[in-house]
Amino acid sequence: MNILVPVKSVVDVELNIRVKDSHIVEDGLNYILSKWDENALEAALQLKEAGGGEVTAVTVGPARSGEALRKAMAMGADKGIHINDPATEGSDSWGYARVLEAVARKGSYDLIITGRQSQDTDMGSTGAFLAALLDLPLVVNVIHMERQSEAGRLEVHRKGDGDTEVIELALPALITANDSLNEPRLASLKGIMAAKKKPLETLTLADLSLDASQVGAQGAAIEIMGFEAPPGRAAGKKFEGEPEEVTAQVVGLLASEAKIFT
Amino acid sequence: MDTISLDSLTALDTLLSDEEKLARDSARRFIREEFLPDIAGHFENATFPTEIIPRLGALGWLGASLEGYGCAGVGSVTYGLVLQELEYGDSGLRSLVSVQGSLAMYAIHRFGSPEQKERWLPPMAAGKAVGCFGLTEPDFGSDPGGMRTTAKSTSGGFILNGNKTWITNAPIADVLVVWAKLDGPGQEHIRGFILERGMEGLGTPPIKNKMSMRASHTGEINLTDCFVPAENILPGSGGLGSPLACLNQARMGIAWGAMGAARACFDAALEYSTSRMQFGMPIAGKQLIQKQLADMAIEITKASLTNLHFSRLKDKGRLSPIQVSMAKKNSVAQALTIARTARSILGANGISLEYAPVRHMLNLESVYTYEGTNEIHELIIGRGLTGVSAF
Ligand SMILES: Cc1cc2nc3c(=O)[nH]c(=O)nc-3n(C[C@H](O)[C@H](O)[C@H](O)COP(=O)(O)OP(=O)(O)OC[C@H]3O[C@@H](n4cnc5c(N)ncnc54)[C@H](O)[C@@H]3O)c2cc1C
Repeated sequence: MNILVPVKSVVDVELNIRVKDSHIVEDGLNYILSKWDENALEAALQLKEAGGGEVTAVTVGPARSGEALRKAMAMGADKGIHINDPATEGSDSWGYARVLEAVARKGSYDLIITGRQSQDTDMGSTGAFLAALLDLPLVVNVIHMERQSEAGRLEVHRKGDGDTEVIELALPALITANDSLNEPRLASLKGIMAAKKKPLETLTLADLSLDASQVGAQGAAIEIMGFEAPPGRAAGKKFEGEPEEVTAQVVGLLASEAKIFT
Repeated sequence: MDTISLDSLTALDTLLSDEEKLARDSARRFIREEFLPDIAGHFENATFPTEIIPRLGALGWLGASLEGYGCAGVGSVTYGLVLQELEYGDSGLRSLVSVQGSLAMYAIHRFGSPEQKERWLPPMAAGKAVGCFGLTEPDFGSDPGGMRTTAKSTSGGFILNGNKTWITNAPIADVLVVWAKLDGPGQEHIRGFILERGMEGLGTPPIKNKMSMRASHTGEINLTDCFVPAENILPGSGGLGSPLACLNQARMGIAWGAMGAARACFDAALEYSTSRMQFGMPIAGKQLIQKQLADMAIEITKASLTNLHFSRLKDKGRLSPIQVSMAKKNSVAQALTIARTARSILGANGISLEYAPVRHMLNLESVYTYEGTNEIHELIIGRGLTGVSAF
């Protein structure tokens, strides 16, 4: 099975992110492979290991995004495609999906797996847009995957409202990965060394026959007006008194204010 | 007030390749997610989670800098960064990896026959066989040239007699690289032998009641008329220079590792001091504490840059043993000071295993002594500078 896994390089949210004049301060930021993309990649690698085929990782972004691709290849992706074109800067999910559509059409893939959302914007729409553009069946938020029951079909489970939906898909298809789908592997030293020799193709929009006006800020359907730093955490509430009184007070507030018992 | 992280301050990342950062990140994640949750318990109970050894192999961390035989063949910086993250976890873990890769496997890789390499290196790289390296004896520590362990030629092999002590991994080792004096007199007769678990006359009792490196198996190697077949002598070894060459391999890794322990202590001290309230404010707001944190950050930055610089020289084949001594001595001595300071910043909590500093502080006492004591490295540097040996 040939699988395409779009991966995104995102700001590491574990470090302090600072906002100045409605923009994120880029200085000193660390970029990592978006965590749900690691689940997508792990799922692809497991399918490949079980049934053969090839896993291609693709990323859209500036030179530094190459790091996400190298990590994907160090984890086991067979090749990488890097769409590095300044015109893609400022794209919204729709713009990224258009670029990825062009990449998908250039190859021949039985399955596309994306993360259910990216770790930076938490938008969660690129996968769905891409499925729509390619006219593929889509299952989002996949939590479990069965081996192919028969060639050309894939059984996936997704979390429904309270219970689990079991869905059989006809390939080609697109699924998006939940983080409970699997435990992404760590890149081993041998994987990291091997990745250096794997093919990495760098393309521009022109190579994909795309026009700059279709992507980036120009082609965006939505515009982000600015960023606001999250408000500082308000001080917690302190309860004093006899244990019985305090417990009753806290339980009362948990019910009436936090509404955790409903 | 915006704060700046230690990683941003040292800005080591600006000097690393993507591959080096990836290797570091894998080790960092492994330690934080899989190792740290249980380490205090292992330290307390004097156990080591041996079940993770094959996983260390699968991740390529055993014999990582060696070429071929299932080893990853990475550069010294990548190897150092991995060891630094492992020792952020615990010096016992890093010791296991150093002894396996830089001492036992390196000795076989460098001095072994093609058959020995084929037989031993792949399972050791995979973590299916554990190795140890026996040089120190009860009466010969800093001065190993005086060793009393002997090997006598006999038909089909050698008979070994003697005792090694303070040997990391000895109680759990499958493959024991042991140094002994072969027949005639003089240091030129020191040779390396590969011993295997189960050989008659070989005992490896553990050393008990250690207050340092508790999450690491340390033991003796007792040899009583132990027959070792002829094919188990390391054909390329000869003289004290052979084991010393192995130690030299391991020392840069130890310099990196010690900075991992130092970073763990710094992180603990920083976090604790910003939340611990005394006299109505976090103790981090006190000038004396700030000076301690500032000094830690400065020493970590200096030592990290030295380690990086020397490792790059090593990869170019231009690192001298004197520079290795500078790196080992400085990193470990600074790490120990940092650990002790961090321990004190945590007050009474600083002596509890619930926090990392006291564990690192105790471990680093061993690291200060093994692989050439702090003083022995001073003597190596001093001899290099003055041309006069003061041993
Ligand atoms: C946890 C642990 C693990 C170890 N693992 C191994 C292992 O795997 N394999 C192995 O072979 N060994 C191992 N060792 C042993 C270690 O290498 C020795 O402890 C070390 O070489 C020092 O020897 P010693 O303990 O006999 O101290 P000594 O050599 O007796 O030194 C005692 C003191 O005297 C000082 N001193 C010695 N000579 C001089 C001098 N000429 N001038 C000034 N001062 C001097 C030393 O610096 C030290 O302070 C390990 C030790 C420990 C603690």
